[in-house]
Amino acid sequence: MDLTSFTQYVLSGLVIGVIYALMAVSITFVHGMMKIVNWSMGEFYMIGCFVQYLLVTRFVGPDLWVLGIPVAFCLVFLFGMGIQRYLLRPMFMGEAERLDEYATIITITLMVLFRNLAIIIGGPYQYSVPDYFPPTDLGPLPISGNRFMALVGTVLILGVFYFVMKKTWAGRALQGMSQNRIGIQTAGINVRRLDEIAFGIGVGLAAAAGALLAPVFLVWAESGSVPTMKGFEIIVIGGLGSIPGSIIAALLLGLIESLGSVYISSVYRDLFGFVFLILILVFRPNGLFGERERLA
Amino acid sequence: MPHLKVENLRVGYLPGIDILQGMSLEAKPGKITGIIGPNGAGKSTLLKAAFGFLKAHEGSILFNGNPIQDESPAAIKKRGISYIPQGANNFPQLPVKENLLLGCWIFRKDKERIERVLEETYEMFSVLKKKHGQRAGLLSGGEAKMLSIAKELVTSPSLALVDEPSAGLSPKITDYVYEFLAKKRDEGLTILIVDQNIQKAVEYSEYLYMFEMGTVKMEGEQKVFAGSIREIIRDSLVGAGDE
Repeated sequence: MDLTSFTQYVLSGLVIGVIYALMAVSITFVHGMMKIVNWSMGEFYMIGCFVQYLLVTRFVGPDLWVLGIPVAFCLVFLFGMGIQRYLLRPMFMGEAERLDEYATIITITLMVLFRNLAIIIGGPYQYSVPDYFPPTDLGPLPISGNRFMALVGTVLILGVFYFVMKKTWAGRALQGMSQNRIGIQTAGINVRRLDEIAFGIGVGLAAAAGALLAPVFLVWAESGSVPTMKGFEIIVIGGLGSIPGSIIAALLLGLIESLGSVYISSVYRDLFGFVFLILILVFRPNGLFGERERLA
Repeated sequence: MPHLKVENLRVGYLPGIDILQGMSLEAKPGKITGIIGPNGAGKSTLLKAAFGFLKAHEGSILFNGNPIQDESPAAIKKRGISYIPQGANNFPQLPVKENLLLGCWIFRKDKERIERVLEETYEMFSVLKKKHGQRAGLLSGGEAKMLSIAKELVTSPSLALVDEPSAGLSPKITDYVYEFLAKKRDEGLTILIVDQNIQKAVEYSEYLYMFEMGTVKMEGEQKVFAGSIREIIRDSLVGAGDE
């Protein structure tokens, strides 16, 4: 084994890990804020993929591909706010008996609905977004231009997300809401509005991930299923509710998949992550960075 | 004009089941008004309704003459009412200072005012200044309670709804909390307080209401209650409905 190829495998694993991270962060963010699992997260990702595909192939062309990310984020952000307001809010209003069941039913319904709508609109075809960036080198690793841009884009989006959460009033309120819903209301914050914003940001991040990854993977009705599966794997490994945990777990998963495929067998690529997940569940059931649930 | 006036209020958690069954009371300006009574009498329910957490099925809640029974907690907070729930109501993963900043939410654009109230708060509670960078979840029970109180009072409210300020605290810290509330009252804050600790509630309140089964069983000046405190405690321990 020579060092150069080992470095390449590690790097390519980390690149995949960073790409997984955005989806995982969006899932864990929604879970942390609203204490629900959003089973339709992958479909918001899929919407992001289609937005990017349509923009690049029909509307603005490949030169302005970067536009797809904010457009997908904003559209899905607004859409998510609406969904939160009209479909999910009743569960916070004392009208639903079992909150987790309510959310599960609603979000699984949305998943089925969006997938089938995508089939009706786009047909059962897989689309590919044309390359918009030439292949390049990441250290010793030759990398496709689109994958490189997905990497850079993810890092930038996570950076902006971190800044918003740590340095702005809205981010402070969102952090507070994930820890103590009563405390947010006694501070005079409109918690319903904040719920809408939280859900909107969560699904918007998934859509941004979709827009970034549209040219890396294929675009079709079930684009979202693999990222969702990986996302859930990652957030359980990292610890539910922990954003740093999900980023580190995403990198680990990327590494394990990459090194496992090279040194064991690429046939079992998806298996390695699940073996790792089972080990984590056995030895650290709260995940690597599991945080305590909020008080109220 | 009374600060808070509750008239014929019917409130509950479920439709058709009223915990408060036509409750009327007042919190007089610049005074501490105490509410005592057995478990389940509706004491905390009243405070939750006054802060907009529960919607009135019937009746009204007037604050300075304005009906607030249909308003959200956020709107009520802006009117100058603060609600201090039972126990620690902090954000455990955030540092003490961030907790206080979130308390300043309704005037978050006014940087000067934030600076000023933080300074005032640190002056009142030196321990919060010392631990301003520490996560709130790591504070002791007494410190966490002080943070919870300070966080709601940074907005300089004119009315504070205080639920069970002594619950889970040592007698020494309970004394401290009540002394602090009395000092705030002397500075003009109107306080409506609910406490299981009848002795403390009677000691510090100028006027008291005793609840039973969602109605006012007895009300009066402090001296009325102070004379019969043993009987009141006995009754409330035995609970409602045994007569």
